[in-house]
Amino acid sequence: MTTRTASSTKDMPMRMTEQAKYALSHAARKHVARGLAFAIALAVVAVPMAAEAQRKSPLAGAPAIRKRFELRSTRFEIGAGVGTTINQDFYHSFMISLRAGFHLTDWLSIAGFADLAAANIATGFRDQVVGSLGEDPGMIPLVREPTATEASSSMAKINNILGAQLEFTPFTGKYSLAGKLFAAYDFYAFVGGGIMSLSAADATNLASCSSDRALASPGMPTRDELRCSPAGTKPGFNFGVGMHSYFNQWLAFNIELRDFLAQINPSGRDVNADKVANSGDNTWVSTFMVTGNLVFYLPTTASISQ
Amino acid sequence: MKRPAICLIVAVAIVGWTAMGHAKKGGGKAADAPAEDAKAGDDKAAGGDDKGGDKATTESLDADEGAVAKVEEDISGPKKDAARPTSQLTWSDIVVVPRKAFLKGGRLELGPFYGQTVNDNLLRHHIFGVDLNYFLTDAIWIGLQGQYFIKQLTTQNELIGLQYNRTSTLNRYLYGGALNFGYVPLYGKFALFNRSIVHWEIFASAGIGVTITEVIPRNPANASLAFKNTDLTPNVGIGSRFFILDWLTVNFALRDYMLPDKFEPNPNTATTAAEAKANGTSAFVHNLMFYMGVGMYLPTKFTYKTPG
Repeated sequence: MTTRTASSTKDMPMRMTEQAKYALSHAARKHVARGLAFAIALAVVAVPMAAEAQRKSPLAGAPAIRKRFELRSTRFEIGAGVGTTINQDFYHSFMISLRAGFHLTDWLSIAGFADLAAANIATGFRDQVVGSLGEDPGMIPLVREPTATEASSSMAKINNILGAQLEFTPFTGKYSLAGKLFAAYDFYAFVGGGIMSLSAADATNLASCSSDRALASPGMPTRDELRCSPAGTKPGFNFGVGMHSYFNQWLAFNIELRDFLAQINPSGRDVNADKVANSGDNTWVSTFMVTGNLVFYLPTTASISQ
Repeated sequence: MKRPAICLIVAVAIVGWTAMGHAKKGGGKAADAPAEDAKAGDDKAAGGDDKGGDKATTESLDADEGAVAKVEEDISGPKKDAARPTSQLTWSDIVVVPRKAFLKGGRLELGPFYGQTVNDNLLRHHIFGVDLNYFLTDAIWIGLQGQYFIKQLTTQNELIGLQYNRTSTLNRYLYGGALNFGYVPLYGKFALFNRSIVHWEIFASAGIGVTITEVIPRNPANASLAFKNTDLTPNVGIGSRFFILDWLTVNFALRDYMLPDKFEPNPNTATTAAEAKANGTSAFVHNLMFYMGVGMYLPTKFTYKTPG
């Protein structure tokens, strides 16, 4: 056991230095040890984190598919085929379809189309309705009940549908059928405008459905006032989806499902119950069509992406 | 002084070892990525099940892509040790789509869906149903379907009376069920804006079931004469699945339900529903419906098995 005793000051500096040295070195060692321990802990944690932050995947920002054939980019597309309406009430229109477009990029393009009706075939619904009607107006007590001839004469037939559209192609890929047939394909959506040309089955003595005529005798419509001719050219909107299936770099099969929306009167008769068939009876009607075209691409070779 | 120096040396050693270890991990991942990228760019596309029964064939469109991908695989693949035994496998053993994103074999699919009639301009049905399918393999399944119908009279049906002084002879669907079989002939994947890959498949299905229908009397005063039919209903369909998660798909389908239905007689002079049914008019009906729904799979995970 060491006891402290009083001593002269001339000895104290030396004794203090030793003590101080001892105390200092002991404290210093403790501090240094703590510091080192902290530094080691920090290094074990921080250095990997820094390495993690600096490490960048070589695939960062890379496209999903490299060396991909860009089958659409800056290429013209021209095609022809056939189509048909699929939800018409009175006549199915079978059409010759023409198509032309330019692909600005691999996913954006502009196109025009012309669907020309080659035949209008009566639907089963139309045959059942007309078949249930009589032919002698004298035997029909109600004015609003037409004869079979009156009913069929005002029904609308499509002559042609012309339009232009903007196409977006977000989906591109490949498929195989039973492991034998391989093809590249794409899905796209489109939106645009156009015009629809209609004619009546028999427009003889029929006023136009675009007229604003009123009843000659209010509340007392005649048979001819209850029907009109839907003939004319109607502007509208078109939108839908489509796909290409590529046989090779310059030939593909294209199929589109289109909805052409226009204000028309398919039956050519009173719709709004105002007892006269006129422009007030034109309503927004969706005309669904499906077309299939064989399309060619120019130039005949496609570029390859990075 | 010695102790701090020793501690410092130890610290430096620990830090250096840790940094080197992480650097090696990053290099390994970079080496794997080009091989995967080559696979994405050089698909032979699909049709096979998870046992890889289908043989790979040459793509007519992708001769150049195949050459480039092959070069990439040669560069990026690990060097084979000459001492290792050579494999007995050939190109014909390569599965058509290696590492399909989704395996269905041995899993149960619970698929609620909503659908709508697409081929009736007088009466539209909204259908709510559920599919319960068990996948025997990745390409073949058997399942049960239940359907509940809600009717909606269309605008054209309302105009029949106004324009032609006629009413429609219609039957509404109440509910139904079916036993279905399905097959996947086509599997593929597409790139979304060339940024992400989505796997999908097209399936065909057929089945047999029952549909309960009910007459909608032309004259509302004859509601007591309404009768029901229990119709045997074969169906065929085509659809697609898009694989979202390991246990979730988004499904679309177009199905044709064919049923010999019996309609209200015209004119209806019956005094009871049974008499009206006996006098009813039969017709073969195609009820074309478009579905959309989701598929939830159990178990929620799957294990990929590679040959050998």
